[in-house]
Amino acid sequence: MMRSEIDVITPQNLDEALAILHGTPNGLRIVAGGSDVIVQLRDGVIRPQKLLNILSLKELRFVRKRDGRIHIGALSTYHDITTSPLTRDYAWPLVDASSQIGAVQLQNTATLGGNLGNASPAGDTLPPLYALDAIVVARNKSEAREIPIEQFYVSYRKTALKPDELIAEVHFKELGNDDRGAYRKLGLREANAISIVDVATVLRGRDSEGAFREARVTLGAVAPTIRRSRACEQALSQKPITREILKSASRLATNDAVPIDDIRGSAKYRKEVVASLVYEALEEAVFG
Amino acid sequence: MSFKLNGEHVTVKCPPAYTLLEVLREELHVTGPKEDCAKGECGACTVIKDGAPVCSCLILVSQAEGSEIITSEGLIKDGKLNPVQEAFIEKGAVQCGHCIPGMIVSASALLMRNPNPSVNEIRTALSGNLCRCTGYSKIITAVQEAAKSWKQ
Repeated sequence: MMRSEIDVITPQNLDEALAILHGTPNGLRIVAGGSDVIVQLRDGVIRPQKLLNILSLKELRFVRKRDGRIHIGALSTYHDITTSPLTRDYAWPLVDASSQIGAVQLQNTATLGGNLGNASPAGDTLPPLYALDAIVVARNKSEAREIPIEQFYVSYRKTALKPDELIAEVHFKELGNDDRGAYRKLGLREANAISIVDVATVLRGRDSEGAFREARVTLGAVAPTIRRSRACEQALSQKPITREILKSASRLATNDAVPIDDIRGSAKYRKEVVASLVYEALEEAVFG
Repeated sequence: MSFKLNGEHVTVKCPPAYTLLEVLREELHVTGPKEDCAKGECGACTVIKDGAPVCSCLILVSQAEGSEIITSEGLIKDGKLNPVQEAFIEKGAVQCGHCIPGMIVSASALLMRNPNPSVNEIRTALSGNLCRCTGYSKIITAVQEAAKSWKQ
């Protein structure tokens, strides 16, 4: 179908959007900020008959804190996430990732839900959301489904989202006083660069001896989906935690990277970069 | 489809899945914004939408419905160039000129929000605008100059 023939439906509220999704999912594609979908449309990667333009659904644009959890609406832009005091205080690895996506123009339009739905293994908000144990909330006409982010991604660019569902929000436990975290990205330049590798770390529950109750180390752009390095996470339970431990733990993360060669970097290079970035992120989180 | 363009209400009949940029250039003949990469990487198509700089190549015209759009043309008031436009001429910040409307729109959007930016803030604000003549230093100088005479 030619782009000039594609119909664009703009619902006025969430209920209307969900009713449309319920009735006509065939050939229908959701578009939010548009930064991925419009490029895919023009490249012919997707050929929908109709676009469901949800950008103006204000109900899905919010950052809130409730019962110790941060809730972010799917239509929050990277600018919203970068500037919200709630995310800055309680979810800074996600802020660091969001602030490095694209440049000013993209940050004003591109949305968190779009990054989740596009399901690129190089989606920069995904490693921090994995490290934060985020829950993705999918909604259809009759119910909301809470999906742990690790289960939300099924395989390369494939999510657990059903045709009648849309991503409504994500939520996760806030980072508190005893929690640490950091994000690191390597791109070819600072702005508008797709990640060669990016990593996030979240360490929760620091005790009096400086050890952490639990650790998350997550790797982006090195596998069909985001990977957790459980071996690295386990190595971080030793105490006292030293730079030597961080160094050997970050080497373990290379085994969980199964990258490909592509235009941005070779597989071999990416594996080396994983160890460096994980070390930097852990060093910042623990000693920074 | 209707929105406010450079202070005037416009209504245009066009396919709803066209980008705002296509409609600006091809239907409304507003040619300040340019199409280069069509992927949101070069910034040549930058316009101000409801106060924020955005890539008009990555917005459906349907998504601009009811919004307020400013292009480089709209920065001219009563036939007078705005301080950024003046400073680009004054400081010789223009080489081939192709990226300049996008640069000027991004820089003006910055000064609208922050009339006294640091060099780093200027660099960040322009990091989504590529100049393939690589004339960046005079562009930065021009924005600094414009900030001196910018009135909020």
